[in-house]
Amino acid sequence: MLNFVRVTKYYNDIKAADEVSFELVEGEMFGLVGPNGSGKSTLLRMMLGIIKPTEGQVLMGGSALKDNDWREFRRLIGYMPERVSFYDNLSGKATLELFANIKGGSIGNIEDILPQLLPWEVLARKVGTYSKGMRQRLNLAQSLLNNPGFLVLDEPTSGLDPIGTRLLYDILDGVRERRKLTVVLSSHMLAEVEEKVNRVGIMKDGALKAVGTLDELYRGLNLPLRLIIMVKNHSLQGAEIRETLKKEGALNITYAGGQITAELPVANKLKMLAAILGHKEDFVDFTLRQPSLEEVFFGIH
Amino acid sequence: MAFTERRGQPSPLKALAYKEFSDRLKSRWVAVITLGFAILTIVVSYFGSAASGVVSFRTMAATVASLTSLVVYFIPMLALTLGGGVIADERDRHTLDLYLSAPITAAEFIAGKYIGLALSLAVPSLLGFSIPGVILLLKTGVGSMGSYMVFVVNSVALGLVFLSISFLTSVMFYERSKVVGFTVLVWLVFTIVYDLGLVGVLIATKGALTPGAFIVMLLFNPVDVYRILNFTTIGEYSVLMGLASVDIPGFIRPSVLWAVTVAWIAAPLLASYYFFKKRYMK
Repeated sequence: MLNFVRVTKYYNDIKAADEVSFELVEGEMFGLVGPNGSGKSTLLRMMLGIIKPTEGQVLMGGSALKDNDWREFRRLIGYMPERVSFYDNLSGKATLELFANIKGGSIGNIEDILPQLLPWEVLARKVGTYSKGMRQRLNLAQSLLNNPGFLVLDEPTSGLDPIGTRLLYDILDGVRERRKLTVVLSSHMLAEVEEKVNRVGIMKDGALKAVGTLDELYRGLNLPLRLIIMVKNHSLQGAEIRETLKKEGALNITYAGGQITAELPVANKLKMLAAILGHKEDFVDFTLRQPSLEEVFFGIH
Repeated sequence: MAFTERRGQPSPLKALAYKEFSDRLKSRWVAVITLGFAILTIVVSYFGSAASGVVSFRTMAATVASLTSLVVYFIPMLALTLGGGVIADERDRHTLDLYLSAPITAAEFIAGKYIGLALSLAVPSLLGFSIPGVILLLKTGVGSMGSYMVFVVNSVALGLVFLSISFLTSVMFYERSKVVGFTVLVWLVFTIVYDLGLVGVLIATKGALTPGAFIVMLLFNPVDVYRILNFTTIGEYSVLMGLASVDIPGFIRPSVLWAVTVAWIAAPLLASYYFFKKRYMK
């Protein structure tokens, strides 16, 4: 859909984005993670066409977008900014009407999901009386007013309680079931991103350090799998199993509280498991854990 | 309660303008300023000659002369404070990116905001000066109605000039404290410092500055343009504005002064658009 080709953005002498190249695939949910100041917001603002790259290009269908193209594209964009502070003197309904007029949408477009987000009596109240969570729900509602095909969510669950968070993702899932919706999700909540996205991009110092599916990232960084074995005979501390693991190339093998923990190189997974099954009379159970996005994140940072 | 698709949906520009104007209507800003201008006009007209021991409604021309010397302080201050925070506020709220991610151009955004605030300033100026104007008309006759009408329209234009300058201020500075500081500076320069400086130059050059050159230099201050325009319409009462001793060259016709006023409205607004795009959309 949008193709970033060696995109660099300077703010005066500060390089906010450094030769970023990646393509957003239509219909995917793309996670963008990185610490504060890593260039996520700059990248999001370029996706929205608010700012232009200093160097490089943002292409759509192979062509660079001109001002008018961006204007047309923005008709399809829904944007949920972080920490937005809507006007306290307007009601929730008046706020939605204002942004519907600005975006060329309609409250009618979200009539089915609006009661789940904010009851009518809450919408009739002034935004100044809203809780943080209610404001964030209003933020999600406004982002969907124009039936977007491209939705950019910047820290969408910030300020939401677990019920609100689940509702947000349920609503997104519901919209994505009904029509093709490309979503970019920028978040610090790595576990949340990990669970929801198809692909993820990891930013550091303005550069996109890694991009791909979670599996691709685990493999790319050669992150080990974590094996946990509950041994039968605590007095032996699973000595034989540990010896086998060591022989097969497992790393950081430790024993504590009746459990052996070890890291397995992904390439040795099957061979290692076969070797362990040779000791099946010595253990009760075992768990094999994939690396988490957090490990990928800290592996890069 | 149910919502349906609205027909005849307003454009983004209209929606922005409506929001700005309706905000000032709901907050009673428009009502308070209307009332303030009306009271000021009545008081200036009725008690204007109290120093000479007489209290009664004065003619429209005399009222224009007195009002002009007060309005040059009030309207610029109102306009500068009205528009000074217009961009900084949206940026601080994070709603600016929301607008800029919508299918709206920078020109529509600036124009929508400007029109809404211009209405918020024009409506109280028109009503606040016109309603007492009708009372003056009934009490003192139609003699100087033309100059009073020029005063009313010119006062609206003065507001628009300073609203444009306030937009430029709002775009040029990120921090609200700098916006406030610069607003006060702009107000001081145009209402007090510039004229004092010109008088100083006149004295220092011992008459080397010709009246024509002096008047041209006055055109660089929109407050002076406003004064001269009112002055050219009220004849003998111009002495009350401190301009009686100035010979106005022939080329300073009302049409030229109106054109200069329009330029003073357009130039800062166009500069705001340019700097807005440069600062927020590059």
